Amino acid sequence: MELNFENITKSYKNKQVLKGISLTMGTGVYGLLGPNGAGKTTMIRIMADVLRPEKGSVTYNGNDIYAAGDEYRANIGYLPQDVSFYDDFTGRDYLEYSAALKGMEKKRAKERIGELARSVGLSDDLNKKCTAYSGGMQRRLGIAQALLDDPKILILDEPTSGLDPYERIKFRNIISAYAKDRLVLLSTHIVSDVEQIAAQIMMMEHGIIQHVKTCEEYIRMMEGRVWLVNMPAEQLVDYQNRAVISNVRAKDGCMVVRVIEDAKPDGGAVQAVPTLEDAYLYLFNYLPEKNGR
Amino acid sequence: MSLFRFELRKLLLNKKTLFLLICLLILYSVVGLTSTMFLIGGNDSYRAYEEAATDWEGTFDSEKAAEAEKIYKEVSARYGTDARMIARSVKDQPEIILAVNYHAYAERVDEYWIGTPPESTDEPYGIALLQDKIAELERRGQRNSLEYREFSASLQRLEELGEPQFANTLLWENLFNNWGEHMMQFLLFVPLTFVIAPVFAMERSCGMDNLILSSRNGRRKIVTAKLLSVLVASTVVVMLYLTATFIFGFLPHGSFHGWDAAIQSIPTYAQSMFQFKVWQLAAIGAAWLIFTGAVYSLIICFISSRMKSRIGTAGVSLAVLFVNVALAAMGDTVTQRLGALVDFGLANVTMIKEVFGGYKAFNVFGMSVGYPVMAIFILGIFAILAVWGIYRGQKNRTV
Ligand SMILES: Nc1ncnc2c1ncn2[C@@H]1O[C@H](COP(=O)(O)OP(=O)(O)O)[C@@H](O)[C@H]1O
Ligand SMILES: [Mg+2]
Repeated sequence: MELNFENITKSYKNKQVLKGISLTMGTGVYGLLGPNGAGKTTMIRIMADVLRPEKGSVTYNGNDIYAAGDEYRANIGYLPQDVSFYDDFTGRDYLEYSAALKGMEKKRAKERIGELARSVGLSDDLNKKCTAYSGGMQRRLGIAQALLDDPKILILDEPTSGLDPYERIKFRNIISAYAKDRLVLLSTHIVSDVEQIAAQIMMMEHGIIQHVKTCEEYIRMMEGRVWLVNMPAEQLVDYQNRAVISNVRAKDGCMVVRVIEDAKPDGGAVQAVPTLEDAYLYLFNYLPEKNGR
Repeated sequence: MSLFRFELRKLLLNKKTLFLLICLLILYSVVGLTSTMFLIGGNDSYRAYEEAATDWEGTFDSEKAAEAEKIYKEVSARYGTDARMIARSVKDQPEIILAVNYHAYAERVDEYWIGTPPESTDEPYGIALLQDKIAELERRGQRNSLEYREFSASLQRLEELGEPQFANTLLWENLFNNWGEHMMQFLLFVPLTFVIAPVFAMERSCGMDNLILSSRNGRRKIVTAKLLSVLVASTVVVMLYLTATFIFGFLPHGSFHGWDAAIQSIPTYAQSMFQFKVWQLAAIGAAWLIFTGAVYSLIICFISSRMKSRIGTAGVSLAVLFVNVALAAMGDTVTQRLGALVDFGLANVTMIKEVFGGYKAFNVFGMSVGYPVMAIFILGIFAILAVWGIYRGQKNRTV
């Protein structure tokens, strides 16, 4: 399986939101990380065929997805960023309606709805109105909807927003198990959502995919760039304005500050073990600031 | 199939819409009831009228006409010549109403023989008038002109129909008033607009478009399902109107009297060239409203597929519905230049009185085509264009 973006651009009015996205995705989990406004949702909408690019083409196994039309969309499961519902639909209605939209057979739809309701923990709530669901429940219902027809391509736009920590963990497990032989694209601005499950992580900013690497590669990239510095609390305020700080901890009346910096900072800094979050800060905060300085 | 069931539920079988339908049903029943109750005083007056009228029904009788004329003169001296004013003033005197009606009938018989005044802008009507026009065309050697053929056909038709007869069709007149006047458009087509308007616009306003457009059936099958549900919904609403006004129009007096008369006995249809019985016109009128309601609904559906909100859709749809009323109100110059638009605008074409009440014909490449056929043809084209536009729009739609 191969999904290919070829120089995709998209503008709203005169603001270019996607500036030439080219990339190839195969099977596995892809994380799409980037700050708000980076263009993640726009890219995902193009992939889900609800938005058309201005230039460039998206192909699935070599075929243009807009030419393939119904045939391409039959492979998609899509969780939009804003899940919405009809006023008088219950959770079950919503899933049955989605099944009808996907052209699923009645019997199979019924089985899948039962299965998925169990795995997202909504079995007891299926007969309640969707509009009475909490944010997290709505999101989980949306996830069930996206998984309904066993799609070859699963596209999730900020799937974890509104989920509590336990629900997030459950979600990650569902996705990990699901991703075999399939393509899962998951957008988020929360690093921990993807660091454990994504085979490839794409860092997106200002409508450009800046990097596509594995989590390990990002961490390796950060070696020698993350430091722990001890300093008195009074100095911290001033220091914060000059450096990108990923964490501050109080220890023995002193502050242990985790700093992102290309060169070793003054004052007895020691190297720390980098994480993906450090890479995120490095790429989206440290580098832009440094270039601006 | 199952997609259709959901679409029907979203459009019609949900609590809000069903509640609206119940309100409409009540409204329609009240309209049917009041229109018939105030037709001619109470039930007793109608009974008396029906009894008295049996003596007068049938072919033209000059003695009765003279008698009616006398009564009419007395009444009009007192209440003026406006027939409706008279009817209101003498509600409880059925014999007088009968005489006034017979007097009007006598005038229609005259018109049948002599014709409408030459300065009238309507289609020429009346034996003598048509004969004159035909003779004139013959004198000018225009036997092959379209006009000549039209007038000859009209004359032949009039002779076949024969002199109008007098019949008591009061209750049916009331029914056709309810079904075929502007009032019907406000009572039926305006609410229909609000029922159909959300069909596509709601997906946009509530954000479900994301899901629909990204799904396999979200760009073609869903359109079919929505179109079917729109047709069902419009038929249901129209049927509601037809049945409620029918039942409550006849129920209070418990009579269908006049069902078998020729429609030429009904004042509004006196000049109709269609050889229908009253009951046939009722059946055709009902079918006509269902048909035009369906076409109008498809047009709303098209508008809805291009709009973001239900209210916006309703606004544009109502503008489309009433555009020709506005045009016609602008005066003769506009009417002449945009005649087709006025004739086939929805506000006209949905009224059975306009379509079946006269004999308008249109010149289509040298053929003379009657109004109803032409209307079906043009509405058919509207419907096909709307459906095509909806499918195309959904194929290319984005969020
Ligand atoms: N419908 C729209 N009209 C105008 N601007 C838009 C629209 N959708 C998105 N944008 C703009 O495009 C940019 C990228 O948005 P989006 O793709 O939603 O980013 P992300 O999902 O990464 O937060 C933002 O600056 C946003 O303001
Ligand atoms: Mg987004």
